[in-house]
Amino acid sequence: MINDIRVGALIAYCSVKRGNKKTLIFIVFVLSLIFLNLVFLPSMIGGLSGLFTGFMRDYPYGDIVIEPTGDNTYINNADLVLKKVRAVEGVRAATKRLDAGASINHKQKVVGATITGLLPTEEYDISRYPYIINEGDFLGELSRDEIIIGAMIAGTGFGAEIYDNLGEVRPGALVDVTYSNGVKRTYKVKGIMTGSIEVVDLNALVNYKEIEDVYGLEGKEATSIVVRVNKEGTEAQIQDKIREAGVNEEIFTWADKSEALIKQAMQSMGAIDIMSKIVSLIVGAALVLIIIYINVLNRKKEIGILKAVGITPRSIVLSYAFLSTFYVCLGISAGLILYLSLMLYFQMNPVTFYETMEISPTIDPMLLIQSIATMLTLSVIAGILPAWSVSKESILKAIWGR
Amino acid sequence: MIIVKDLKRYYGTGDMTVKALKGVSFEINKGEFVAIMGASGSGKTTLLRILALLDDATDGEYTIRGLEVSSLPEAERSYYRLTQVGYVFQDYALINEMSAAENVYILSMMEGKSKKESYTTALEALAKVGLEGKHDRIPDELSGGEKQRVAIARAIAKKPDILFADEPCANLDTVNSKQVLDVFKELNEKYGQTIVMVTHELWHTDYVHRVITFQDGSILSDEKKTKGQ
Repeated sequence: MINDIRVGALIAYCSVKRGNKKTLIFIVFVLSLIFLNLVFLPSMIGGLSGLFTGFMRDYPYGDIVIEPTGDNTYINNADLVLKKVRAVEGVRAATKRLDAGASINHKQKVVGATITGLLPTEEYDISRYPYIINEGDFLGELSRDEIIIGAMIAGTGFGAEIYDNLGEVRPGALVDVTYSNGVKRTYKVKGIMTGSIEVVDLNALVNYKEIEDVYGLEGKEATSIVVRVNKEGTEAQIQDKIREAGVNEEIFTWADKSEALIKQAMQSMGAIDIMSKIVSLIVGAALVLIIIYINVLNRKKEIGILKAVGITPRSIVLSYAFLSTFYVCLGISAGLILYLSLMLYFQMNPVTFYETMEISPTIDPMLLIQSIATMLTLSVIAGILPAWSVSKESILKAIWGR
Repeated sequence: MIIVKDLKRYYGTGDMTVKALKGVSFEINKGEFVAIMGASGSGKTTLLRILALLDDATDGEYTIRGLEVSSLPEAERSYYRLTQVGYVFQDYALINEMSAAENVYILSMMEGKSKKESYTTALEALAKVGLEGKHDRIPDELSGGEKQRVAIARAIAKKPDILFADEPCANLDTVNSKQVLDVFKELNEKYGQTIVMVTHELWHTDYVHRVITFQDGSILSDEKKTKGQ
């Protein structure tokens, strides 16, 4: 076997060293495109998925979110839960929120929305809400008669034609809010927030105390407790630690939540991604096979000669396995250069999606490893099959075609 | 050394059967230089290919040094071709992407020798056929005679028991043909190499000990030559 490998390597080496360089460049170019085809679309979809996940972490769920158990509307001992959570090692910040359904009215225009009551000063460490006010200002600790309205509700941002809105409400305008329990309040619009996603731009924010007051709560309730951790990737460990600290509510990491929420949104893209991968693989496999097969056919006589002088069929087959692996390695390298160049370009010039969202593709090392492994496996099969088939032919047929 | 008994080779079936060899028998002794002659289609190349285990006989026996080689399985035939037999093709049959040395030493590597040892053996074989200093050249950079001498070097580097040559001078001019035949003669006289050569040139028989002439798949004559004949 060692001799077969040595001789196979020598044949492959000579073939590369003195073979037609133009053919080599063409093969490598085609293989690089096959590789690019395998990794590019999934990277774009990964970027889209990452964008949605980022939104979920930056706004409604943080790194970890604690919600009421079972049919309960509220976490009833929210302050105690908060105290336990903040004491857990690895937790950077935590806050409580109260969500309520309401309708907002401005000059005969009415829209339905979720209004989130939050503690404004704590939100600076928790979410990006304070940083996405593009008109006016964020809420203050003492804000009670003020409201932040999402740009899509206000009618000032993208989506005004799609969703019902209040007709270009600006900071300083007064809006009437009717909560789900029938309580009516009038608020002055303090700011307009633009998060570039519906979960933000179709919502409104008020002070936590305001919701508490409207629903007659006692200062201990929350619909969610949002937690941020010190180190990314430790969410699952901290989720366990929070449980161990005696928190008996439902505890989810952002990944748990995203899986459920984004799954649906990403299902269509995921299907396209899978189909694209399958088609790419089939096309890739066929191309690699065709390229190597043509190469083998062109060298049929050579294979016959090698057999005639005593080179074993195994050495010949191995030489083609080495050769195709070499082609594919070069193809992958060239494909990686193309891919990384494209990634760099799209990092600097993100694709605008839905007019407001900018998608930059993500580089997923696992995807790259999988694609490289797939291409290498294909290359070995594509190299071995045709060479094996030709090496089984009689010497006379291989050399003289009879 | 070589014993051939009632060797037959038929192509096709039924009325379309072509009888390339109709049952030939002969013996070749060690150290003999034999020419096989005959018109085109007489069966000489078919015989040589069977003797070199490149083709199978339809029937008959063929032994080398007492070993029945015609019935060996393919793996053993491959090993036999590698270690016991040298074959020189009419059209050189060199690998174009390999240098002269690589064309020769690949066989030594296949036998399990180290690269260094194989390379040294290849250089010695190339020197033996008068190609010193041309070991790095690829076939396209060599003349027809030089290519054929590389093919001979490849065949003799492994020191085979028998060297088969199928019209080795067919594509060469007289000068190059003489060079090739001189190499064969030297191998035969100096190293006792057994050589079986197919040829259709009468003047080539000046170099051999014995001439077997074929006609229509059968042996027409088998003559030993005496010096000066």
